[in-house]
Amino acid sequence: MSAAFEVRNGCFGYPHGRQVLKNVSFAVQKGEMLAILGPNGAGKTTMLRCMMGFLKWTSGQSLLDGEDIAGMSHRKLFSRVAYVPQAKNATLASSVKDMVLLGRSSQYNIFGKPNAKDRQMVTDTLARLGLSAMAECSCAELSGGELQMVLIARAIVAEPQIIILDEPESNLDFKNQLIVLKTLRSLAEQGITCIFNTHYPVHALRHADKALLLDKSGNVRFGSTSEVITEENMRNAFGVETVIGQIETPHNEYADVLAVNTLPDDPALPEESSEESEMEPMTQITGDENTRLATLSIIVEDRENAEKINAMLHEYGQYVIGRMGMPYPKKEVSIICVVIDAPETVISTLSGKLGQLRGVSMKTTYSKK
Amino acid sequence: MGRRKFRLDVTSTRTRRILFYLTLILLPLLAGVICLCIGRYTTTAGETLAALGRILTQGVEQGDNLAKIIRDMRLPRIVLAVLVGAGLSVAGLAFQSLFANPMASPDTLGVAAGASFGAVLALLFDAGTLATQFVALLMGFVAVGLTLSIGKGKGSERSLTSMILGGMVISSLFSALISLVKLVADTDSKLPAITYWLMGSLDSATWYTVAFALPFIAGGILVLYAIRWRLNILPMSEDEIQASGSDVNTLRIITALASTMITAACVSTCGQVGWVGLLIPHICRMALGSDNMVLVPASVSVGAVFMILVDTAARSLSPSEIPVSVLTAIIGAPVFIGLLRKTGGWSL
Repeated sequence: MSAAFEVRNGCFGYPHGRQVLKNVSFAVQKGEMLAILGPNGAGKTTMLRCMMGFLKWTSGQSLLDGEDIAGMSHRKLFSRVAYVPQAKNATLASSVKDMVLLGRSSQYNIFGKPNAKDRQMVTDTLARLGLSAMAECSCAELSGGELQMVLIARAIVAEPQIIILDEPESNLDFKNQLIVLKTLRSLAEQGITCIFNTHYPVHALRHADKALLLDKSGNVRFGSTSEVITEENMRNAFGVETVIGQIETPHNEYADVLAVNTLPDDPALPEESSEESEMEPMTQITGDENTRLATLSIIVEDRENAEKINAMLHEYGQYVIGRMGMPYPKKEVSIICVVIDAPETVISTLSGKLGQLRGVSMKTTYSKK
Repeated sequence: MGRRKFRLDVTSTRTRRILFYLTLILLPLLAGVICLCIGRYTTTAGETLAALGRILTQGVEQGDNLAKIIRDMRLPRIVLAVLVGAGLSVAGLAFQSLFANPMASPDTLGVAAGASFGAVLALLFDAGTLATQFVALLMGFVAVGLTLSIGKGKGSERSLTSMILGGMVISSLFSALISLVKLVADTDSKLPAITYWLMGSLDSATWYTVAFALPFIAGGILVLYAIRWRLNILPMSEDEIQASGSDVNTLRIITALASTMITAACVSTCGQVGWVGLLIPHICRMALGSDNMVLVPASVSVGAVFMILVDTAARSLSPSEIPVSVLTAIIGAPVFIGLLRKTGGWSL
């Protein structure tokens, strides 16, 4: 089966300008959330625009269910793909209802008019997102968070397979960021593939399934979020020293990405070889030979995941210096304890991956040296 | 939410919609019949209707002065007022959507200046009414063509800003040319005619001029009526327009052409009538909200009524006719300021 959305060898550069995107390739499946990350100017928005055909790839293609979008009519394409622009202060005084209704326009030709069924869908969508109370309000009077939700409503009322969002949680406060991200997650669970640009690695790590990281020289890393969002990749792409760790509560553990220091710009940039889409960056870590000792204590509630963890630990076999596994039938959990001696980046990557698994509680303790 | 503004609700139920459209049709008819009775030769409504009946059933007989006045003078003038009022209002509405700018008016692309130059040039050479109208229409299109070719950037991309700037440049170019024509025109015979024409008036209305303007104005209105839902998308960003499933350039060009056709035909028939294209759409917005599905028919009707009333005032307030654009400005400005202060704010 072909991927819900795929980009193959996408390249883009402005005529007489620099090459912005080089050989971008990735694929997302139905119901997945993909976060696109990168520093300012790396071409995140350009990439979104290329993906939907607003800009033409200089070479390469975007595929929707395996079909090249270049050959599709606007109507056909945008009745399956919905786009949510950044919520800037709207100058439009349209009512929320009318704004959301516009989402149905891709179903009609230029002379088409919405019918009662379309209006009913608007009412239903607003209710589903908890926006019914503002149906009659003017968009010009909404707060940024409300407007963003209205634009999302406008996208999903078209019943798309894929929804593409340009920085949906920028300019929003904590609560609204969370509302937007949770809304996206629930859409993904209903089978709508969500692709969004974000400035926040932690949002990608916490909420998305896959991540795509662009850097300023046009290189691309794509994979599952915990593989892409690593301290090393953050350093290379953003020029920032980060700490990726977990905040624990008795009930849960939350991944967090903290930027701690900027690194001096390196003029001799073009770093290493630029293989894109490597799925296993952890095995090729070179340079830094300073390893550290760490213990990973893991409680697994889900038997299937216990096997995944074993497989994962096997991959890291070269670093593991000891492990202990113990089922505890009374509470239907397994307890695993691993000691590894590895470079910090490897340890944090592994912790990150383990922490992402459902029903897994874990804690990493580092030695002092 | 408590942020709901008072708006006339005309769409929520079937009954409301029917009433709304009925009102839109009846208002201009009513205004038309009332204004048919007004003029130097005062008549009662009964006499006017009787005369109308005679015109329709048996034609105008010799010596039936009332029927003759109504058929040859008042009726074509009222029909022209309907066309011009409705046309300029809808064209203004469409341009405001197109440029996402509440201040845009029907001559943003330079069509009015171009058409005026054409008319002035024709008057300089003593052309007849129909010839003047034709040259004006032609120059209106030439002006918009020039504006669009200036505004055309690399490839097929047309940026709105460069279109607006192009319109300003072309407008001022043609204004300069008009001044040049006025400068060389004979001060005794031609300059007054030119000046009077530029002030705008519907007194050239005959069934011929109406027949000339009708296809352009009615055609343009029909096109804009047909795409009225898309006018809601038009003020948004290019990507959003594209993502609504319609091609940006096609939509913009259809809108610009339809509005230009209307405006060129209006200006070439009755000179520059200012304010209507700005005033009427905003009055409608203030009363009805921002949905172009409702605003397009409302602007047609309200624009027509407004123009019938203003033109009737222009021809009957004083012994000599007052130029209609003078009246639209004198009536329009204070009404508009009042409305603005009451409802607060410009928005689309």
